[in-house]
Amino acid sequence: MSAHAVEIRGLCKSQGTFTLGPLDLTVPEGALYGLVGPNGAGKTTTLDLIFGMGGRSRGTIRVLGLDHLRDEVAMKRQVGYVSPELTYQAWGRVGAAMDFVRGFHASWDNSYADRLLGTFGLERRAAIATLSFGARTKLGLVLALAWRPKLLVLDEPTVGLDAISKQQVFAELLAAVGEGRTVLISSHAITDLERFADHVGMIKGGRMVFGGLIDAVVDRYRLVDVEAGASVRFDTEPGVWVQHREANRWRLLLDRETKALDAIRDRGASCLSEAPVTLEELFIALGRS
Amino acid sequence: MVSHPPRKLLIGPISAAAAGPLYQQIVDGLKREISEGRLTPGAPLPSFRGLAEDLLVSVITVKRAYEDLERDGIIYRRQGLGTFVAEAGDNRSREGKVEKARELMRDAIREATEAGLDARHVQRLLRDLIEGEAGKSHVGTRG
Repeated sequence: MSAHAVEIRGLCKSQGTFTLGPLDLTVPEGALYGLVGPNGAGKTTTLDLIFGMGGRSRGTIRVLGLDHLRDEVAMKRQVGYVSPELTYQAWGRVGAAMDFVRGFHASWDNSYADRLLGTFGLERRAAIATLSFGARTKLGLVLALAWRPKLLVLDEPTVGLDAISKQQVFAELLAAVGEGRTVLISSHAITDLERFADHVGMIKGGRMVFGGLIDAVVDRYRLVDVEAGASVRFDTEPGVWVQHREANRWRLLLDRETKALDAIRDRGASCLSEAPVTLEELFIALGRS
Repeated sequence: MVSHPPRKLLIGPISAAAAGPLYQQIVDGLKREISEGRLTPGAPLPSFRGLAEDLLVSVITVKRAYEDLERDGIIYRRQGLGTFVAEAGDNRSREGKVEKARELMRDAIREATEAGLDARHVQRLLRDLIEGEAGKSHVGTRG
């Protein structure tokens, strides 16, 4: 029994010109963990590696206390995976896909599956090829949720979904977490994550920028306006991100876990105002540079 | 008879468009229910996972709200049994509300003073507001 559903340490992988890592990521058991990051940051690569797809070059991934490669079969019996790259078309109809997946999992719950089907507005007899992109994602969620895996790894499960469907998905994920299951989800729906997720991690250029309890992560940063002499520069200061500059006035994002604020004061700059940030503001500020 | 707590409509609506963080809205909502006697001492509250599911907020948001209320002695947790309204929870909720009212009035006095009103003007303003409130119905007067 491990207190962590996912524990990634020193993970590295090179793929063409893209290098992932070294990356550390910890998802506590029972968490709804949102993984955010700009396009091409390495989110999908990371999630695929967790599920044993693609070779890593270095590092370890432990899933529910198991080594994700050595214990791959045991791991996959407890992990549901949804990716926009899965099309499910080979099964023809929704019902056939469900019957197929049910065959692999003794824990498949028929009434839960039917309820999910109803919630997401899917029908067993519908041809998968005729489903919209969003409906296909919902099918993927039904197939992953219905056997109650201990861990759900969901890559962009709300992409292409309308606001109603998105809320239904998050409601089902909260219900899963309510049963003590763990959800790791990559998403660009940051305001949704801010409401529904309890942990959040940001990945950029193959590295973690931050990770942890959402309140703690957001509270770590502040936007401040400062006034400084004309020759002062902040661009190279660790823990400082310059948002705007007009003459001697600067808007800075500060990481309060660094000595950034002291460093700014040491340079004779005076703070004019300070404000907390939302997760989305933080994402934009840290993702842009 | 065991009374089961309502869940979805346990407290007023929680919205990102309302003032304050979501956990604070849950704290305020529960304090209101308790101080106005709709939740009485000893009444069971939903688990934080259950309430999160119903209010469509993260588990951590409800947990933080419950921790705040527990710290203030308004609710208490019993391992394995659940969470309940504390014996003096109603009084403590009211005390909390009085304290918050005092803070808001202090802010109001500061604003009024900065606008150039003297003590007598502030008192008159407050009296007018109290009389105005008394003439209104309850719904729609908040905020």
